Amino acid sequence: MSNVATLDTDEVDPDAPKLPPELPSLPAGEWMRKNLFSSLGSSVLTVLFGVLALVVFWSVVNFMFENAERDWDAVRANLRLYFTYAYPVSQYSRVWVSFGIILALVGLTVGLWPPTGVTSIRKIATRCLSLGGVIFAAALAVQGPLQRDAEGVLIFDEDFEAVRGSWSSGLETRIWWFVVAAVLIAVGLGLWFGYGERRRAVFVKTSRIAYGLFGAAVLSLWVVRYGHYNGQAGQFDYADPDSLVAMSTRIPWTVMWVLLGVAVLAGGALRSVGWIKRAIPFLWLISPFVIFWVVLRDPALDYGYVARVDVPMYLAFAVIGGLVLYALTGPELGEKGRAFAFGLVVVAAFTFVGGFFGWFAMLQKARISFVMLAAFALVAHNFAGEKAARRGYVAIWAGVLLVFHYFITMMNTPSTLELLADSFLGGFMFSIFAAVFGLMFSFPLGVLLALARTSTLPLFRIMATTFIEVVRGVPFITVLFFFSIMLPLFLPGGMRITEQPAGIIGLVLFSAAYLAENVRGGLQSIRRGQFEAADAIGLTTAQRTSLIVLPQALRVSIPPLVGQAIASYKETSLFAIIGVIDFLRIANSVVPNQSQPINFIGHKREGLLFVCLLYWAGSYAMSKYSQKLEKKLGVGDR
Amino acid sequence: MSDTSTLASTQATKPPLYRDAVVVKWFTQVTALILVVATMFFLASVAGDNLSAKGVATDFDFLNLNPGFNISEGIDVQPATGGRALWVGMVNTFRLAIAGMICASLLGVLVGISRLSSNWMVNRAASTFIETIRNIPVVVQILIWAAVFGGLGRLSEDSEFLGGFGYLSSKGLSLPRVFVADGFYQWMVFIVIGLVVGRFVRGQRIRLQEDTGKITYPNLYMLGVVAIFGVVGWFAHPMFGWVGSIFEAIGDGWDKIPDIGMQLLLSVLIVGAAARWIKGFLDSKRTPVGLAKLVDDDYFRIIFAGVGALIGVYVAMLGWPGLSSWIVNSGTDFWHLLADKFGDGRSGQPIDAMLPTLSGQGTLLSYGPQGATMTVGFAAMFMGLTLYTSAYIAEIVRGGILAVPKGQSEAAAAIGLSRAQALRQVILPQAFRVSLPPLGNQYLNLTKNTSLGIAVGYADVVNVGGTVLNQTGRALPVIALWMLFFLACSLTLSVIVNTFNVRMKIVER
Repeated sequence: MSNVATLDTDEVDPDAPKLPPELPSLPAGEWMRKNLFSSLGSSVLTVLFGVLALVVFWSVVNFMFENAERDWDAVRANLRLYFTYAYPVSQYSRVWVSFGIILALVGLTVGLWPPTGVTSIRKIATRCLSLGGVIFAAALAVQGPLQRDAEGVLIFDEDFEAVRGSWSSGLETRIWWFVVAAVLIAVGLGLWFGYGERRRAVFVKTSRIAYGLFGAAVLSLWVVRYGHYNGQAGQFDYADPDSLVAMSTRIPWTVMWVLLGVAVLAGGALRSVGWIKRAIPFLWLISPFVIFWVVLRDPALDYGYVARVDVPMYLAFAVIGGLVLYALTGPELGEKGRAFAFGLVVVAAFTFVGGFFGWFAMLQKARISFVMLAAFALVAHNFAGEKAARRGYVAIWAGVLLVFHYFITMMNTPSTLELLADSFLGGFMFSIFAAVFGLMFSFPLGVLLALARTSTLPLFRIMATTFIEVVRGVPFITVLFFFSIMLPLFLPGGMRITEQPAGIIGLVLFSAAYLAENVRGGLQSIRRGQFEAADAIGLTTAQRTSLIVLPQALRVSIPPLVGQAIASYKETSLFAIIGVIDFLRIANSVVPNQSQPINFIGHKREGLLFVCLLYWAGSYAMSKYSQKLEKKLGVGDR
Repeated sequence: MSDTSTLASTQATKPPLYRDAVVVKWFTQVTALILVVATMFFLASVAGDNLSAKGVATDFDFLNLNPGFNISEGIDVQPATGGRALWVGMVNTFRLAIAGMICASLLGVLVGISRLSSNWMVNRAASTFIETIRNIPVVVQILIWAAVFGGLGRLSEDSEFLGGFGYLSSKGLSLPRVFVADGFYQWMVFIVIGLVVGRFVRGQRIRLQEDTGKITYPNLYMLGVVAIFGVVGWFAHPMFGWVGSIFEAIGDGWDKIPDIGMQLLLSVLIVGAAARWIKGFLDSKRTPVGLAKLVDDDYFRIIFAGVGALIGVYVAMLGWPGLSSWIVNSGTDFWHLLADKFGDGRSGQPIDAMLPTLSGQGTLLSYGPQGATMTVGFAAMFMGLTLYTSAYIAEIVRGGILAVPKGQSEAAAAIGLSRAQALRQVILPQAFRVSLPPLGNQYLNLTKNTSLGIAVGYADVVNVGGTVLNQTGRALPVIALWMLFFLACSLTLSVIVNTFNVRMKIVER
């Protein structure tokens, strides 16, 4: 075996992606004999499960497309509601800009780190054939429409079974299903026979297929008239001259498609530029904040105030703080530096606590900046050394402070949006933001909790363990109730918090407890020798933890962490219960109560199935990705 | 830490205070603790101010007042007090959780085994099931089931089901009900005696099997003995009517305990437990040479236990005087309840059954004497939770089976066991051992997920509590009760799982 492998590597281009081995398949008859009818019991099981699968398929299809009972227009007409709820129409282009930012980042990432996944022509052909077959079977499976009398009431026969029209009478409504199935089957057959025996050996990059499919879907917007929902007339029509471009679908989606392609090309061209690669994770990290507070919220900046107050304050903290930090990283400083840093901590804590009691007037931003400076000063001795390293530390301080001051300024500026609700977030947009923010804040908190729980310091261990076990012992819904009802009570007078941020804080604390357990598993898998080796070369506890232990522990716990991300994503559906208008609530309560402009009262199942589909797609994709990651990291192998 | 202290003692000069590892360590911890406690106090005082400004009370009086609402289903649909209403909700939670656990385990094991089948069709069906169910939020699934069940027809004579034994309608599925009747508890005395005797017989049979090598069916024998006792007891149970008077006497005696006595008893118990723990801890540090040198962490533990005991005594004696009188009163109630259940006058059948009957057009008591109705809420919760949990259980079972070394199934084949026998006698018991801890986690998740009943109007503890909260405005007490209830549930479940886990562990040489 090894001989063959070495022979192969001589011939194969080393840069070419590693191809998955395609096993030769058995002839159909032999395959069936081996996998379906190997014994009498197996044959019985095959027939039994085959019938069961057919029955389930038949009932699911009929449940989804019951003629005259399901009105999928309830979903089609409300798509904007489902995704962005009450976002003001006049500012809708901001939603597209946000989506564009994400797509540009995706494109840059893909361009910089080209994915290596490939698919054989054979697999594509079989996928097309099976999908076409399923759609064809579904088109055949739908029963005839239920019959109604003149008043729209269902007609029953003497056995109290609803009367249906003949099977063929509903067929003409599904003519497009047959067309799609035929196209898919034709493509599949074309690929299968067009490539002949080479179909096993020819590979296409999966990312290209995905981009092509995206393009085909965008193209179909120009060719097929899906219809455009016209709110005023209360019906579907195909042209709405008064509508904004942002409210249409064709042009924005085409722009998005082009943008993605350009971003991929740009990423490929920039691959040799070193700092871009380092900047991408940072851009990903701040993009949710930029999208939320800057793009979607549209803050009304008062530039005079910014020039008078914000900029000078930043400069003062950056310069003076930078000088202090430069001095503190001096290699000769020793004990005195620590003492000074500790004094700074006391001052910062005093100003910060003073803010709660209103002891002296000071902008909250300044108080928090003091705390940040104290934290930087406290760890400064770890960066003591050459001038370049010291300057780098000061530069990091200035950069972090800049980002922080920028966002504080943006958050403190009132929004210009005219809103009908508490927040512009709603629908799927809310679910995504809740999941992303929840994960971003719960991750560091979870790591801290895990470190505290495994620490040798008993009081920290007790506090962390109590928190984790209490949170893990109660259902998420009670945590949500606690935060949405109780959190407003814990705030001092004058401050208020709405359900959305209160619930997200609950989500952060809840998933932090679970994340902490995952990280703890990783921490416990680190061998003792690693700790001892770190101690032997004289690392401090902080250095040992951040440079030796955590990197290895987090690598081990990546698969469970992705699992926790999926769980958080699914848990956002519970916000519907505390009254936040999220994705699920729109399907469950908003659309089924809609009587204007089209009557959709009672149409709940369509929306629920749609919600199901989107949640399923998101978590399925994430779980597949996590399986891939697990293999790639080879966690089990080492 | 011990090396630091020995190092310090060997060196002549001690480090300055701010460099002493022990001092720094405890200074940081105590500072952090003070910060956390101070923050909590601050938040609590703000919350107290806010609550009193809004005129919201935080007392638990609602537990003894009329709740002013009816519950859609449960052991008592018209509870007299708020506490009773919450208890009905808790029983509903248990009902759902236990039914879900049993069915999800059965389904999960089936799907998990199917997932490993060499038959393509079976394998694919199982993996499709798992991948579909696992990736959809459970609350969405529950809502879909509720929509499906809610779409059924009205309850009438026509919704008869199973030839008159049940009704399937938009009100749910009504089934015949089997329930505990008059003589049940006296009958249970027979069953307990039967179990003891059966255990003895089983031990005899096992010894016989080991001595002679013949198959002696020990479990079957035990079952037979219990069955005989059950049948005899069915008719003879009134002879145990005197058991009630024992409980009566215990209850009367319990009632005579004065509050101060109970307080002292509690204090003695707390102090005794702490002293026992400290003694055990010191014993564990004792070496043949004498007591080992204690480091700061050991002192902390001892002080912690002591302070904990002091706080416990304070709570029992002064902090919460109602606690001991509550223990006395509820203990008396409990013994008198037992006395009533085992009482002399109960000579009826141990178990009775009933058919669901329509009372008037379209009405049927939901969970009362006229038959058990699986309401739409229960059915939706049950279907959603069972399927969702079973998908996870299937993956756990699959992982457990894969963790059994291949040599085990080969050895089973070598000694001539059939594949079914090998699965039942060799593979599954070992797989069960691996999958027990994650399985316990899933049961816990299922119990916690019953709180989603509020989404479909199933009257579980969270839903009932939510109604109480809306009616009385006592947000803090209700949320505290929810959390205590679920914490107690999870603690109980983890104790059970741990007990099993210890018992199942391989005894290593």
